[in-house]
Amino acid sequence: MFKKTLKSKRNDFGGFFNNSLIQLVLVIWALFQLYPVIWLFYSSFKPTPDIRSKLFALPEYLYLKNYDINYYHQKGITIGIYLRNSTIVTVVSILILTFVCLIAGYAIAKIKFPGKNLLIIFLIGLIGIPIHSLIIPLYYFIARMGLLSTLWGLILPYIAFGIPFSVLMLQTYFRQFPDELIEAAMIDGCSHLRLFFTVVVPISLGAISTVLIVNFISIWNEFLFSLVINRDNAAKTLTVGIMGFKGQYVTDWGPYLAGLVIAVVPSIIFYAIFHRNIIKGMTAGSLKG
Amino acid sequence: MIQSLLLSFFKWKGYGPWIFLGFDNYIKLFTIDKNFFVALRNSIVFTIFNTIGSLLVGFILAILINLKIRFWKIYRFVFFLPVVLSGVVVSMLWLKIVDPYGLLNTFLSILHLENLQRIWLANSGLAMGIIIAVAIWWGNGYSMIFFLAGMQNIDEEIYEAAKIDGASTMRRIVSITVPLLKNVFSTLILLTVISSFKVFDIVWIITLGGPAGGTEVLGTQLYENAFRNQRFGYASVIAVIMFLISILFSIIYIKVTANNERIRRA
Repeated sequence: MFKKTLKSKRNDFGGFFNNSLIQLVLVIWALFQLYPVIWLFYSSFKPTPDIRSKLFALPEYLYLKNYDINYYHQKGITIGIYLRNSTIVTVVSILILTFVCLIAGYAIAKIKFPGKNLLIIFLIGLIGIPIHSLIIPLYYFIARMGLLSTLWGLILPYIAFGIPFSVLMLQTYFRQFPDELIEAAMIDGCSHLRLFFTVVVPISLGAISTVLIVNFISIWNEFLFSLVINRDNAAKTLTVGIMGFKGQYVTDWGPYLAGLVIAVVPSIIFYAIFHRNIIKGMTAGSLKG
Repeated sequence: MIQSLLLSFFKWKGYGPWIFLGFDNYIKLFTIDKNFFVALRNSIVFTIFNTIGSLLVGFILAILINLKIRFWKIYRFVFFLPVVLSGVVVSMLWLKIVDPYGLLNTFLSILHLENLQRIWLANSGLAMGIIIAVAIWWGNGYSMIFFLAGMQNIDEEIYEAAKIDGASTMRRIVSITVPLLKNVFSTLILLTVISSFKVFDIVWIITLGGPAGGTEVLGTQLYENAFRNQRFGYASVIAVIMFLISILFSIIYIKVTANNERIRRA
């Protein structure tokens, strides 16, 4: 018995030495993950020659010229417009998407209709289809509708791409709802629609925010589709637009890094505020399968 | 999708009429076009290494964090952060890391390891390695979160019991954690495989498929054929092949999750 406890203690990670060893490993990995981003931030406040000669050094003074947005606009990198476009596309898409998927998810979970199981299997199948396989026909459709280089040309497909995952997630959530609650309300003469807005939506705010957040991230960061549809500078989104910095400032690191910072800041603020929901939402949808 | 399939039998330049070619596009792809096989091979290499790398790193981090270590919430926050960044931003940042005068080479010279310095994107093997490294840097937090969520569902008492029986930490991980996380492993492997096959943005921005086509993957091939060279019909063949590959994995995925569901109910 004594031997056993001794042995288990020696192999346990609980000891002080082991504990600090783990901390060391984690700190090193955290630096690897975080340092490039931190470096990006402080280096963007240095003039290019300083960045290049003293790569790791902190800025000696606050150099703000890299952030002269008007100058970029004159050069054709209209970063303010890209930011606006990304915001409009993302917000409009997730609002419509969530609204549609709420109703569809509720219907699938709680209303009986023929072909329901088939629909669910179909939706699961849709998740697996890569955007690449659809991009050529979608490009063709959007060109035919005259929506190339418009924000709607992005919003519509983004809604379509988000539907399978969001509907499935919401319907698994609605399934846990007690049927008695719905039946009781129905007996009182409440319609499905009214019940939906007065009872179901208010108590599902957690699930709704998850859908909003997960779709926000994927749409805000979407690249390939945006690259194909919106070639016109006025309709570019941020992910495609900041590539302009890659084209024009290959060796001029200052503006390049400042452009990246402008692109990164919204994501980081969003993450800082919602990281709990993001972490929960990312795993919740898929773990249940 | 049906239209993609249809178009794969035609020649179309993005405007004008569709010219029927029968199976010509397919024949050309499989016999003449060496680029396609390079891209397919690269996609497979990328998928294998990215899946193994992301899962391995994610799993190790999750285990370390799950030891109820101090500051574990901060670590979780930091490790997951890259996942919310866009591929464009991540790639453009990494371009400055692997630049000949970039962070990596400068860091090596500080360590007096000048002989390890490279022009990282100049040869295709090295460039592919960099792309995989970027993908792991970007995605390991995603795996970690899944493992962590799975681990926190495991009953603490099982570990306590094993501890009393004298099982070492390593032993507890191998014979308790891993088997109980079987579902998480299978889900993650499939999700990562499917998303790796679709990789586009990091390859496109870091190497443009270069040097000399050495890092082309299916995604970049498709984009180049369709939207740069206006060969929509030909690109559709690649789209069809990518579709078949992902459908294959989706079917496996549905089978596996259905199986898990059955086990859970039993």
